[in-house]
Amino acid sequence: MTASRPPGEPRHIAYLYLLPAFAVYAAFLLYPIGRAVQLSLYDWDGLSLGRWVGLDNYLAILSDEGLRAAFGHALVLIVFYAVGPLVIGLALAAILNHAKVRGLGFFRTVVFLPQVIAMVVVAVAWRRVYAPDGTLNTLLGALGLDSLTRGWLGEHAFALPAVGVVGTWFETGLVAVLLLAGMSRIPMELYEAARLDGAGAVREFFAVTLPSVRGEIAVALTLTVIAALRTFDLVYVTTRGGPGNATSVPSYEVYHRAFGLSQIGSAAAIGVTLTVVIFAISFGINRFADRGVA
Amino acid sequence: MISRGERVANYVILSVFAAFALFPIVTILSAALGPSDSGPTSGLGNLAAAWEIGRFGTYLRSSLLVSAFVVVVSVVLSVMSGYAFGTMRFRGQSALFYLFMLGIMMPSEAIAVPLYFDLRSLGLIDTFWAVSLPQVALSVAFGTFWMRAYFRASNRAIAEAARIDGASSWRILWQVLLPPARPAVVTLTLLVFMWTWNEFLIPLIMVTSESLRTAPLGLAFFQGQHTSGFTLLAAGSVIVATPVVIFYLFLQRHFVRGLLQGAVRD
Amino acid sequence: MTRTLAVLTAAALTLGAAACAPGSSAPPAAPSAQPSAVRTDAAALGKVTLTVWDQEVRGGQAAQMKQLNAAFEAKYPNITLNRVSRSFDDLNTTLRLALSGNEPPDVVEANNGRSAMGAFVKAGQLLPLNAYAQAYGWQDRYPESVLRYSRYSADGKVFGEGNLYGLPQVGEVVGLFYNAAKLTELGLRPPTTWADFQAGLAKAKAAGEVPMQLGNLDKWPAVHVFGTVQSRVVPADQIRTLAFGRKGASWNTPENTEAARQLVDWVDKGYFSKGFNGQGYDPAWQAFRDGEGVYLIAGTWLLADLHKTLGKDLGFVLPPGATAGAAPIATGGTGLPFAITAKSPNPDAAAAYINFVTSAEAMKVLTDTGNLPAADTAAQTVPAGPQQDVFTAFGTVTAENGLVPYLDYATPTFADTLGAALQDLLAKKATPQEFLATLEKDYKTFAESNG
Repeated sequence: MTASRPPGEPRHIAYLYLLPAFAVYAAFLLYPIGRAVQLSLYDWDGLSLGRWVGLDNYLAILSDEGLRAAFGHALVLIVFYAVGPLVIGLALAAILNHAKVRGLGFFRTVVFLPQVIAMVVVAVAWRRVYAPDGTLNTLLGALGLDSLTRGWLGEHAFALPAVGVVGTWFETGLVAVLLLAGMSRIPMELYEAARLDGAGAVREFFAVTLPSVRGEIAVALTLTVIAALRTFDLVYVTTRGGPGNATSVPSYEVYHRAFGLSQIGSAAAIGVTLTVVIFAISFGINRFADRGVA
Repeated sequence: MISRGERVANYVILSVFAAFALFPIVTILSAALGPSDSGPTSGLGNLAAAWEIGRFGTYLRSSLLVSAFVVVVSVVLSVMSGYAFGTMRFRGQSALFYLFMLGIMMPSEAIAVPLYFDLRSLGLIDTFWAVSLPQVALSVAFGTFWMRAYFRASNRAIAEAARIDGASSWRILWQVLLPPARPAVVTLTLLVFMWTWNEFLIPLIMVTSESLRTAPLGLAFFQGQHTSGFTLLAAGSVIVATPVVIFYLFLQRHFVRGLLQGAVRD
Repeated sequence: MTRTLAVLTAAALTLGAAACAPGSSAPPAAPSAQPSAVRTDAAALGKVTLTVWDQEVRGGQAAQMKQLNAAFEAKYPNITLNRVSRSFDDLNTTLRLALSGNEPPDVVEANNGRSAMGAFVKAGQLLPLNAYAQAYGWQDRYPESVLRYSRYSADGKVFGEGNLYGLPQVGEVVGLFYNAAKLTELGLRPPTTWADFQAGLAKAKAAGEVPMQLGNLDKWPAVHVFGTVQSRVVPADQIRTLAFGRKGASWNTPENTEAARQLVDWVDKGYFSKGFNGQGYDPAWQAFRDGEGVYLIAGTWLLADLHKTLGKDLGFVLPPGATAGAAPIATGGTGLPFAITAKSPNPDAAAAYINFVTSAEAMKVLTDTGNLPAADTAAQTVPAGPQQDVFTAFGTVTAENGLVPYLDYATPTFADTLGAALQDLLAKKATPQEFLATLEKDYKTFAESNG
């Protein structure tokens, strides 16, 4: 935060400019999150008078097997939403930056496309891909891999990874384009110096490219980790948490408990916990990136 | 510099990934435009049939109304608050700014539950306001951040000159600073439009009457309602996704820039 | 940044704690008193618009609803219908939200169980229909065995007796749809005993056919399969106690264990279609319709859709008992009952609508569109074939009081618990004992607290 301050005297008129935005923001975002904290301390069915239970709803997140599993599933999704796209994205960006590839514009348009498609549409498409008679199994059959075909969303071992792959699918383009933008800003001199030292392509990648895009990596991780933790639409449309509870995730539990089971307090507690986790993770990632740069 | 083998390998890797990215999209498109599995239609006829049976006309209309309101209101409010943060000094500036920043990361799941019950006791559930105002709140957080970054980087000399000429801060904003800010505003407009159009949870909870349902909701319900085949569901998906995709194809630069810089802290 | 966050958190906490306990400002529950005077002269009610939410989205049901609505509007030009139809799942998830809103729909189809109708009654969101039942003579139209599925005590605690909160339109029974052509090919006849049925499954498997279609991605479809197996081995009165969520029964019995084990045995033998837990309900019956699969355990609501394509190749029998002469037992009852919301400004018009779509003429329309009417089944004439199979089956099983309720009625959370537990059981992630322990926990917790 060393950027220059705006010029001029302190001005009261600034508050007037802020007022409309702040009013909407406070009423529809700050106040509700305060209310969420309050609701999370009650046992409430949404109709009758709530009963004060203190931190019980939070303790349940630690003790209730189903809820613990939901947060565990979110961690698994992080691997698919964040780590996978980062590794693939680094490879793609390195190729695109290094080799003067023809059709770069087309490629970028294609890999970024999933970002702008409504998640409901994405979910409908992938539900079809994963169906027992869906396109993935058809493809496997055509390749002579009939033994691998299955109902992907219906098997406990495959449902969560299958949902995760959808995350990898729509986040990789974003990460690749982000990293490519960072890499294209690396001065050529750095590469030339490395080459004079006799570095090969691999060492060059680890010695020059990777450190230079540290900031972009932090941004990519922040965006994708938050997206992983917030997965809702996808689960709602594809599996509703099934089979069993194999794909239940915190966001889905918030909705399900509040509006399916009428356990408002528990839902609010999960929501608040999710918010804290998101803040902590993005704060941590950025701290890590800052320290690396300094 | 690059060996032939390496070049081939590069193209293979990129093609494989492009195929992966396109696979589900092709799945949907081919189902939507192929011969129908539940009626006599095919090609564009499927889209027409889905439009009719799935009531997508109504849903797109609500989506359009909600998106237009959210975009206009949050862009105007964001320009004003970004202007204050970016060009003025005042007490509590950084605390207020961080307060807005919280909103960028805030999961809507956390606020949707209390909002629903509070709006219900106010009798505002199932109204246009219940579905649009929370989305304005979520959007001004990002919008403020975005416009502040623009105004901080903008040319101060012109604004100073106008000020010395006696122009009010209001006039400086709309007549001096805003015209050159068009690219930034366009990007913001497109992003807010996309987020609002694609939003699922808030409309799912906040409205129950048909006339306020937005397109993604309509599609999710159509999935359960149209039980006799996949073609029309795929066609409905195409209808819902198309508006944003068209904007993306023509104004790709803005989408990429906005989504990439959106989270970059200064 | 850290400090700012701490300050903000503190501020949010104060903000929250300052407000009063949730629910203290909730809208008061609507009075459950009867409307002072019930009017049945719908034509004289003036201009009225009725919003109706139904789940009649499948072929035959959609057709009858369309036809009846048009007839209703023609008969009462002063009443306009605003129809919203949704799938079973989506109706369930949105109805709860809609009923707590300011302007809920006037007429809704609410699932009988405790998670839906029970919860709505408890919240005072539905209108007791006793006075209308009296005025229109609904108790003569339907036998009490049908009406009791829509009865609750005024506080929603007792299920199966008390006020009447809804009136169903169609009858339902879960049984065995079969592909007659395939049975003939396999040299089989429709089964007359349960052992016979299982032998048929084995034979179909050996011949390379898909013995049974199942699509269980949506969690609830296997409930019907399990209910069918369970009612072969568990006494009917025990099932009723369990399904109405009353005290005095248990899931941890040798009979229930046997039922769960039989289901797992079918999985082991590969009787279900491949990847059933990952297949949607609709794609599964579509596959059966298109000739894949010898049997489909499902409810009569699929009749019209299946009949349309399979024609004479479609057959239906009640799940057979241990012996050919055993008393018929099957899961079923009625379709979702139509109820009137407590906040509806037009209860009289709403009641007239419900009366209309459940009248004798309506039952005829239901029959003509390939549905199974809840009443007067015997009075209808249907051509020989699958529809007659279904009518005969329903007639037989109701005559002998052999219907057992859907298991998901039991508790407010049971649909969920049972659906997820069955997915686990079928995927062999849970043993029959673990499966039953999960169900027992939900049932006991509720039954104890409900008193």
